[in-house]
Amino acid sequence: MSRDEVKIGVYICHCGGNISDRVDVAMVAEEAGKLPDVVISRTCMFMCADPGQELIAGDIERHGLNRIVVASCSPSLHETTFRSAVVRGGLNPFLYEHVNVREQVSWVHASGRDATAKATTLVRAAIARVRHHEPLSPIKVGASSRALVVGGGVAGLRAALDLAGFGLPVSLIEKSPKLGGRVEGLGTVFPAGESGAELIRTLVEQVSAADEITVLTRTHVTGATGYVGNFSVTVSRDTGNSSAIETEIKAGAVVVATGSTPYRPVEGEFGFVRFPEVVTLPDFLRILDQARSGGALTVNGRSIRRVAFIHCVGSRQIEGIHEPKPDCSLNLNCSRVCCTATLKAGSDLIERFPGTYVYDFYRDIRTYGRGHEEIYERASADGVVFLRYEVGAPPQVTEAAPGDAGSMLVTVRDSLTAGMEIEVAVDLVVLAVGMEPAEVGALAQTLKFPSGADGFLQEVHPKLRPVELAVAGVVLAGTCQSPRDIEESCASASAAAVKVAGLLTRGYVELEPFVARVSAERCEGAGACVSQCEYEGALKVVEAEVDGQTVRKAVVNGALCTGCGACVAVCPTRAIDISGWTLDEFEAMVDAICADPMEVAGD
Amino acid sequence: MSARADPTLMKEIGLFGAADVSACFNCGNCTAICPLSKGDTVFPRKVIRYLQLGLTGQLEESPEPWLCYYCGECSATCPREAHPGEIMMATRRWLISRYDWTGISRLLYTSKAWEIGLSLVLGLIVVMLFALLHGPVVTERVELNTFAPVPSIETADWIVAALMTFFLLTNAGRMFRFTMRGVKAGLSVYLSEISTFFVHMLFQKRWRECHGPKIHWLKHFLLVTGYLTMFFLVFVFLPWFQTDGWNVSSLFGYYATAVLLYGTVDAIIGRLRRREEIHKHSHHTDWMFLFLLFSIALTGILVHVFRVVGLPHATYYAYVIHLAVDAPWLILIVPFGKWSHLLYRPLGMYLVSVRARATSTAAAGGVVPNPV
Ligand SMILES: Cc1cc2nc3c(=O)[nH]c(=O)nc-3n(C[C@H](O)[C@H](O)[C@H](O)COP(=O)(O)OP(=O)(O)OC[C@H]3O[C@@H](n4cnc5c(N)ncnc54)[C@H](O)[C@@H]3O)c2cc1C
Ligand code: SF4
Ligand code: SF4
Ligand code: SF4
Ligand code: SF4
Repeated sequence: MSRDEVKIGVYICHCGGNISDRVDVAMVAEEAGKLPDVVISRTCMFMCADPGQELIAGDIERHGLNRIVVASCSPSLHETTFRSAVVRGGLNPFLYEHVNVREQVSWVHASGRDATAKATTLVRAAIARVRHHEPLSPIKVGASSRALVVGGGVAGLRAALDLAGFGLPVSLIEKSPKLGGRVEGLGTVFPAGESGAELIRTLVEQVSAADEITVLTRTHVTGATGYVGNFSVTVSRDTGNSSAIETEIKAGAVVVATGSTPYRPVEGEFGFVRFPEVVTLPDFLRILDQARSGGALTVNGRSIRRVAFIHCVGSRQIEGIHEPKPDCSLNLNCSRVCCTATLKAGSDLIERFPGTYVYDFYRDIRTYGRGHEEIYERASADGVVFLRYEVGAPPQVTEAAPGDAGSMLVTVRDSLTAGMEIEVAVDLVVLAVGMEPAEVGALAQTLKFPSGADGFLQEVHPKLRPVELAVAGVVLAGTCQSPRDIEESCASASAAAVKVAGLLTRGYVELEPFVARVSAERCEGAGACVSQCEYEGALKVVEAEVDGQTVRKAVVNGALCTGCGACVAVCPTRAIDISGWTLDEFEAMVDAICADPMEVAGD
Repeated sequence: MSARADPTLMKEIGLFGAADVSACFNCGNCTAICPLSKGDTVFPRKVIRYLQLGLTGQLEESPEPWLCYYCGECSATCPREAHPGEIMMATRRWLISRYDWTGISRLLYTSKAWEIGLSLVLGLIVVMLFALLHGPVVTERVELNTFAPVPSIETADWIVAALMTFFLLTNAGRMFRFTMRGVKAGLSVYLSEISTFFVHMLFQKRWRECHGPKIHWLKHFLLVTGYLTMFFLVFVFLPWFQTDGWNVSSLFGYYATAVLLYGTVDAIIGRLRRREEIHKHSHHTDWMFLFLLFSIALTGILVHVFRVVGLPHATYYAYVIHLAVDAPWLILIVPFGKWSHLLYRPLGMYLVSVRARATSTAAAGGVVPNPV
């Protein structure tokens, strides 16, 4: 397609007033219409609605348009919508340019004149750029159909089973000797009260029965390379006799299900370690699970009649109030499951050992889930006594005088009793510790997993892409991503499995075409670009035979290149460019913007 | 000093009729809606909180339960159906048993068997005393004063009155001590507030601040006037009242009996129907209270009717039964039971106003009062 044939269609959206209340869209369209090669320049009330989309497709057919510009909202909302419309009109989807005149113009500028001027400038720049667009196609890469699931807790087991259900081969690796993760040790689990061990047994039986799944326990990842569709992960299996077997697993995608670990209080925090009567909730649940009902609960030979539970230990920490960890971090998040788990433990205790008194020291009660509030109701009906502490005044745990009603004293400024200081004598103090992310290790380091400030692995977008990691081909399942209960962990595991299946059942993966490309004529093979590239394997200089001569040329691996452009900046001969984001395009945009100095408000 | 939590109090208060203390999640709606909770004396949530935590000492010192007239608005508002109004009622019963140093109150409140048993024993003692000591039985005509001579009855009256007063006053003394723990008030403060006591005792003035129909107040007020009339007839004007002829005091007797019969029957019907909040929950001591008061009025009127109609035996029997139901009333219910609220409630209000005045004087003198 030669430059003379360029026929551009420009569409300015009102966004029902969101844009047109500030921006004179008709004037922008009029200005755009004056530019060379612009065949159509229109406004529309809602471009994203069916009539708007059909306008694009229809104009392409009627007027033979071959470049489209839409000025509307953010591209993250509707760029793909309009690309699809372009495809329906019979064009390559990459012959399209999107201008954001809502978030970047109408919503942020007070003066209509300035906004209109800026919108016009941006549209001009887009028109200048779109002429340079070329048809592109996504990069197709052959993919291994195997999925690797890291972590054999409830989320990992669920994901492995779902993947096997799609007929995909699965490798499930678990670092401990046993599958099951945390759920095994919880006793009965909320909300319904079924046995955690039973749940795990069911899943493990199904996993063992599935031919597609290979389980490797006592195994951890030592390194990983590759990209979506073609990861190569080395794992090391501890054989038990102080030797390890290293294996390589080729996988098209990775499900990370490494779960979480309970927060471990520091020595002296609520008397932890200092007094044997102070235990964490996971420890207490294990004790409760193993105890025989009736009479009084016995812990280390002592009979337990009065128990204090303290909420939010190691969760919802606040800067300036809580002591940071050695790495200066705090657990800011709410661990979400501990409230319900604590209330359930209190109720179970009273119901299984009648006559036991339970005191619950909380900051807030967050029984958010379906069936969780009922557990609060149950605790209340069972006679659990609630005391509320303010974040700055946590309960104090001290030793009681000999002969007191309990061996420990918990003292709190109770905000439910007008801040009165209340003292409770108890035999046992249970700390509802929060969840911290488990150590993911070499996998996260070599593939550069992003994590949030709280240390949990972070998805691309919490709402729009909740199970994918920014590293293509890696998805998240369960509590490695954030605190959640079993139901939520399994839901995210199933979602992750579907994502992976969507990726791997086709046998190939499609990647965005915005990657570096090298002009063979211009490249002199000096390799300045290679030293700039941060992504291993994305760019290298190879020797090739051209007309009987051995020449050195840079070669891009489109699957590994992220299109960051670091290489482009250093090439002395302008031999390397990013498809869809070429230097020519940038120059054309800058020229268009400079040719039309923005009007500055006089006032 | 921190207050010590006692987990057993919640179970204990259950015996006094508060079943749902743990249902309360401390939202405070009840306190917000209560028309009588104000200033430094806020309730019922605070009282409920003391119960939940088992702060026995704090609860003993709380006059708040005596400020509640059980309009039931709080119970109607409570999102958890914890029945805060009834919890206040149960706390009054508990307080009565704490004020009482003999332990009899506690027995009456926590055991149906003890309450019925003791009442029967006292009734039987009266019957036996008559069996042994009654005067000549004149059968030609009704001669009640021969069968039961006024001087003997009056002596018995005074013995009972002395006992009653002794127990009531010593218990009230304990209430005074508990409530005024840590409060310093001069005699002049006590004297200046004394009218509060009588106004509330006679007119239940505070009740009129409750929202809703004033009819409950009116009925209760009539009952009180009837009761006090009867009280004076029996304890002060017996020689005129217990006559074999006719005396103007009989007119007062008619009034008292009518009002008592109406009041008790109305309350019994209310408690059976359980429509209004105030009547929804009935402790066994509530039934005993109504039963005895109704029986006293009924047997009293029977004595009168039989005498006027001229049935000697019927009159004498009715009289013995009348005194047999009087005995548990006077000896149990008045000093140790529900009746004692006639004294404790105005005393509570009186002490609250003394306390308020004392703390405000102290504050004016530069001393910051303790937050209640
Ligand atoms: C005290 C407490 C009580 C709870 N009670 C309930 C309840 O009653 N009901 C409910 O629904 N939820 C409850 N939960 C939440 C529940 O425990 C979690 O939702 C669940 O364990 C999450 O499963 P998971 O697979 O994500 O993680 P985990 O159970 O933590 O499993 C992760 C697995 O991955 C393995 N692993 C970790 N790192 C690696 C690695 N690098 N390589 C290989 N393997 C690795 C671990 O060994 C482990 O087996 C409770 C949580 C706590 C803390
Ligand atoms: S779930 Fe409850 S106990 Fe756990 S961190 Fe959140 S508020 Fe605290
Ligand atoms: S664009 Fe970035 S990732 Fe791609 S080859 Fe160049 S430097 Fe490497
Ligand atoms: S008694 Fe009811 S209204 Fe009052 S604080 Fe408790 S829950 Fe709230
Ligand atoms: S019953 Fe009425 S007076 Fe008593 S606490 Fe409730 S609202 Fe207040």
